[in-house]
Amino acid sequence: MSIVTSPSTRATEPKRPPARGGLGRFLRSYDGQLRLFLLPFLLGTAILIVAPAVLTVGLAFTKYNSINPPTWVGLENFKNLLASPLARLSVRNSLLFLFMAVPLRLVGAVGIALLLSRPGRIFGPLRAGVYLPTIIPEGAYALIWLWILNPLYGPLNAALGSLGLPTPDWLIQPDTAQLSFVMMSLFTIGEGIIVALVGLRTIPGVLYEAARVDGAGRWQAFWRITLPVLTPWLLLLTFRDLVVVLQNTFTPSFVMTYGGPYYATTYAPLLLFELAFDMFDFGGAAAFMVIMYALTALLVVGIVNLVGLNQDADVA
Amino acid sequence: MWRKAGPAARVAAGIALAVLFVLPLVWMITGSLRPTGLPPARTVEWWPSDPQLSNYAAIFDLLPMGRYIRNSLFVVVVAVPATLFTAALAGFGLSQLRQPWQSRLLIYTVVLLMIPAPAVWLFRYQILSWLGLLSSLWALILPAFAAGSPLLVLLFYWTFRRTPASFFEAARVEGADAWTTWRRIAMPMARPTTAAVIVLAFALFWNDFTNPVLYLYRPDTYTLPVGIQILKQVDSTNWPLLLAGATLITLPMVVLFLVLQRQFLHDDALSELLDRG
Repeated sequence: MSIVTSPSTRATEPKRPPARGGLGRFLRSYDGQLRLFLLPFLLGTAILIVAPAVLTVGLAFTKYNSINPPTWVGLENFKNLLASPLARLSVRNSLLFLFMAVPLRLVGAVGIALLLSRPGRIFGPLRAGVYLPTIIPEGAYALIWLWILNPLYGPLNAALGSLGLPTPDWLIQPDTAQLSFVMMSLFTIGEGIIVALVGLRTIPGVLYEAARVDGAGRWQAFWRITLPVLTPWLLLLTFRDLVVVLQNTFTPSFVMTYGGPYYATTYAPLLLFELAFDMFDFGGAAAFMVIMYALTALLVVGIVNLVGLNQDADVA
Repeated sequence: MWRKAGPAARVAAGIALAVLFVLPLVWMITGSLRPTGLPPARTVEWWPSDPQLSNYAAIFDLLPMGRYIRNSLFVVVVAVPATLFTAALAGFGLSQLRQPWQSRLLIYTVVLLMIPAPAVWLFRYQILSWLGLLSSLWALILPAFAAGSPLLVLLFYWTFRRTPASFFEAARVEGADAWTTWRRIAMPMARPTTAAVIVLAFALFWNDFTNPVLYLYRPDTYTLPVGIQILKQVDSTNWPLLLAGATLITLPMVVLFLVLQRQFLHDDALSELLDRG
């Protein structure tokens, strides 16, 4: 069935003489116009997002350098990647990063939303304040953190030093470089805060009133009302974050470390870029992308199961 | 709700958090005002002893800034209105569509959100190359005609879903077509969302670093975020200069955000909806 011609269109439109046949009538009808409104978005995303994402999967089974036509090589790209220490390291870095960054970002977003959701003249500007780092251009954001994390001159180590705390080498050591990337990602949670705020708005105040009448404390209200209502929003946020936070490592790893030190910040997007646009191994890059798809899908399924099990336990 | 539960503590915690989040911006600006060649500060320096704007002038001497600024402006002037238009129309269309198509397209839109950007890099490069748009600013603008990001469509969808259906029904009964209903009734009611989408769309195109890196390779087509990185190749340890560059591209974004944020982050916009339940 096509989106364009459904019976409802004809039913709502009375017998008016069509000026330019069926199309003219369609364009004048309310439902026809509604479908037309969606056309640029649907067509554009099909060409610019869906088709490229799907065709990349096909590319994964070919040898392709973007100039000569692709040739079928079966699973060779996957075999090469599984044997490549750099690809394995990059997957490991990416997963480690996700396991640290996503939960912290989620807790941060919900915590800040709860703190700043109250009415009151002061909270509007405070919400703007916590949102600010999210809108800094990524290229500038990377430069700022390169300065903040500079072990000798940077303001972070100056602050830590004056407090008598240890002053790590941040981007120079592999472990602290990975921590630095997690830290950077914790400041750009504006989108999550907004989604959590919107989610909080959907909770009817009556529920809290009822809970208070029943003598429930604040913690009980949070666990029994706020969190369950927020759960679908938080799930959406988690899934989106799994995708977004990893793709956002591209600019800092490209600008600040170029994957170093010792490949510690070679996350999946940077390796994909190197494979495709440095080595012109589009097939290998596509295969690597497919592996990352599969891992992300596994994570999503895992989280859904986890939450599903918890809810069952709650009911019982 | 529990108003009396330590409002002062809540405000204090909120202020501390906001200060922490604004800190990177503060350090960027103070760092950009430091005279070049000054020995590094050994403690946290909140304001340079001899603040100067000379670093900003130096950038204009070193780089063809006029061209970068023109390119960046061209992209946002075309892309932001196009994004707003397509996203608002699609969001309205989605909110008024009948079942089962509404649910189906809603799922489609949410699935789009989950597709990682790197997944489309390779083939979009191919598509742009076929269209002859590689190293053209249109390579950056093109997504604007597909609503920029599915998130923006969803924002409008949520807004129009919350609007009572009777508003739109009344217009329809009086013979208004969908276009008029959208323009005269729906959009004037969606001001906070419009403000938010303008900010997000501007951020999408003005801040964009990845797409220029992937699809622009002629220096005369570089936009500001890419152009600024050349400073790092010229003099990678001249921090005041690098930070002045960072400030330069951040400032327009921050100003736009601060002007429009009241529309969607301010109390009236939020509390009106908070109190509705």
